Amino acid sequence: MTATTSPGPAGSTVERPTSVDEAVKVLRDSRGSVLFRGAGTKMSWAGRPENPDLVLETGGLDRLLDHNPADMTASAQAGMPLRALQDRLAEAGQWLALDPPTEPDGATLGGLLATGESGPRRLRYGALRDLVIGVTLVLSDGTLARAGGHVIKNVAGYDLTKLMYGSLGTLGLIAEVVLRLHPRPETSATVVVPASVQEATARSLDLLAAPLEPCAVDWVGDPRGGASSGRLAVRFEGTAAGVAAQTAALRGRLDGAAPEVLANTDEAALWREYAGAHRAEPGQSMAFAGTLPSRLTAVAAALADAADAAGVDVSLASHSALGLQTARFSGPPAQQAAALDRWRREVLALGGTVLLRERPAEIDAAAVDALGPAPSAVGLLRALKARLDPDGRCAPGRLAPWL
Amino acid sequence: MTMTTTYLDLVAEKPTGRVTEQVRREIGGLVSEGGLISEPAQLRTYECDGLTGFRVVPALVVLPASTEEVAAVVRVCARERIPFVARGAGTGLSGGALPVADGIVIGLARMREILSVDAENQRAVVQPGVTNLGISAAVAPHELYFAPDPSSQVVCTIGGNVAENSGGAHCLKYGFTTNHVLGLTMVCADGSVVTLGGDSLDQVGPDLRALVVGSEGTVGIVTEITVRLLRKPEAIRTLVADFPDAEHAGNAVSDIVSAGIIPAAVEMLDALAIEACEKATGAGYSLDTPAALVVELDGVGVEVEAEFERVQRICRDNQATHIRIAQDPVERALIWKGRKAAFAAMGRISPDYFVQDGVIPRTKLGATLTRIGEMSRAAGLRVANVFHAGDGNLHPLVLYESAVPGQAEQAERLATAIVELCVEQGGSITGEHGVGSDKACSMPKMFTESDLTAMALVRAAFDPEGVCNPGKVLPTPRLCGERPGPWRPHPLEQAGEIERF
Repeated sequence: MTATTSPGPAGSTVERPTSVDEAVKVLRDSRGSVLFRGAGTKMSWAGRPENPDLVLETGGLDRLLDHNPADMTASAQAGMPLRALQDRLAEAGQWLALDPPTEPDGATLGGLLATGESGPRRLRYGALRDLVIGVTLVLSDGTLARAGGHVIKNVAGYDLTKLMYGSLGTLGLIAEVVLRLHPRPETSATVVVPASVQEATARSLDLLAAPLEPCAVDWVGDPRGGASSGRLAVRFEGTAAGVAAQTAALRGRLDGAAPEVLANTDEAALWREYAGAHRAEPGQSMAFAGTLPSRLTAVAAALADAADAAGVDVSLASHSALGLQTARFSGPPAQQAAALDRWRREVLALGGTVLLRERPAEIDAAAVDALGPAPSAVGLLRALKARLDPDGRCAPGRLAPWL
Repeated sequence: MTMTTTYLDLVAEKPTGRVTEQVRREIGGLVSEGGLISEPAQLRTYECDGLTGFRVVPALVVLPASTEEVAAVVRVCARERIPFVARGAGTGLSGGALPVADGIVIGLARMREILSVDAENQRAVVQPGVTNLGISAAVAPHELYFAPDPSSQVVCTIGGNVAENSGGAHCLKYGFTTNHVLGLTMVCADGSVVTLGGDSLDQVGPDLRALVVGSEGTVGIVTEITVRLLRKPEAIRTLVADFPDAEHAGNAVSDIVSAGIIPAAVEMLDALAIEACEKATGAGYSLDTPAALVVELDGVGVEVEAEFERVQRICRDNQATHIRIAQDPVERALIWKGRKAAFAAMGRISPDYFVQDGVIPRTKLGATLTRIGEMSRAAGLRVANVFHAGDGNLHPLVLYESAVPGQAEQAERLATAIVELCVEQGGSITGEHGVGSDKACSMPKMFTESDLTAMALVRAAFDPEGVCNPGKVLPTPRLCGERPGPWRPHPLEQAGEIERF
């Protein structure tokens, strides 16, 4: 396989290197702005990238480079889709302990690291930032730089690997990643219980304080609350005996509620539905907020208020023991923008963070600010950008106006 | 612009200012009572950290009591271009807190308050001088603890843990400091104060806080830390298994992990290490065994019990000669006391030693230990091994007597050769002690010039003037010029007349 070059939309060139060396050449031998693209499942997250001169697609960088089952590590090119990696690792009874909502759409390892997307089981295994142990980068001038390594424990040099988490392609191309793996759990079960957002908040905090080790605690429902306005799902993984014991212990703690225990296909269907609640439907805006877990009720109340004031529909999905929540807005674009803006102000006032992930194109006319107010460290971010990408080639607009 | 000139330009040591009488007086006015140390005898207390072979007396030591005081001192340093070195308890083993001659040491020992504990959300906000164990002790009433547990946890500070990205025996299951820090307040190299991260797990934009953790004091001084706390596990089981040799012990480790069990900790000690630990602590390790494993499992009761049975079976299948099971928390604590005292205990069996911190893939454990044994015999020097077997982090201790002429140099060569062996096996020069001054010149063994260039660019973004702990982490021609490796620029290159590429 060799690199292919083709014309892209709006006059940009599309390059599809099939080796890291080719990617180095593409960047070294080109000028102008460049957008890195994996499966393209999250291109609308954060700021809209300006029309790039060059689109560098990582689809040709899709090989598993190395899998050491006994060391529980693997390395792969960044364009490899997560699900393809999982298929290969499953042969050895292992997996990359990451379950992001865009996995079924072909989300790639590099894109997942650059966007920092994670799923419900982050509660037990951490985010991709916690699972990636090495990286190969290509800077915008073609400089090839590796950081980290192939061993899990390693403090040699600066952690450029984790620096890429959330960088959204603004610092350079992620070309390869080295990953820490986990054994596939023997079995799994999920306890589902009806819960308003207030109940979900209280139960999630109770679970955090309990000597149980759920791998996911998620709530999906109506932020306005009320009886049977949502459901809390608690997943356990491990040995059959362990899962049974924990499921029983949880039922004991759910005083008065009527829990249902799901396994196999029913369980898989539930988690597919929950993943869907973190995806935007056409015409919707979607934003992701991080707060303390105890703030969920306040986050929901602020969302309901913002929706009422702007006259839009909203829904809320939360990894409630982690304090990570997705809000979706439906309605006329200008009103979506107004609701989002108001909600973000409230979440920031609660000490949280908010990132706009998806929105219909019409919303841009309402001049919605995808990132919100700049943090105190924005000067450091700009200095970093100026050093690693001095000509400002990488993804201009993506983290604007911060970068 | 080529990479070689970029790198050399980036790490070039810039002309620095001096601590004049006027500067000393100005800084004295910025810190609260008792915060200035300038008596030569007192300054000598700060001449080294846990790596005692390197010593430099600083021009001044400042002990600020608040973020504002740190920032005020750093602003003076930035204005005068005076290099400064942050210091916690000084227990680091790589010379990361080694002072710079004519520079200032900024000690954080007086900033030791736990500012807040949010038990419900499992967070605490602490100052950098709080000890690692101090955090766990403060939150213990809530059944919580701080997971990273370096062996020096009784005295080492969280500020130092952040600088070094400290691990410890239990990081196999629970990760390192970087996995448990959510927010940082940092005084930048120019004296400005920024917040990185915060209460929530994710921030918008590149993860700067992950870059700062493990940067060894070279990008700023952290003055406030928000840590994530964990619920204490329901059950903990600990055993010590004796093996006929290190190879069998290593195989047992591989088998445990292959069985899908992730122990909280797996530690290995060889006969020499056991001898030293027993002399120091009397923890009850078998003195006649060539190798012993400490295996600890924790988590949900039923699961731990089932896996503990399997671990014992795996040990027996690998010809374990004796298995001791901790009967209660007191016995478990004693086993850990013995293990964690290992470095300090070496003084009981040898007047001097070098400790290394190389990492290898777990599967190379047996072969690497055999090779280290051969190298030890060839050099005629004893090497004690005590290490985190679960994650392949070796701590070979090369024993020597400085009184014997030439032996220190010989021991240093052997220690370096062992670290290079780790890199050849696909590992790392350091798993938890950091690069510091000690291993900066070994960085080219692991990273290419362009890798190091990218790192130097990142560092320069945070500290363009090079005042923040200069001479650590990245190799410089001055530090490493006389040593083997690529950092020996040709005189013409130094004069700017030729380029390497």
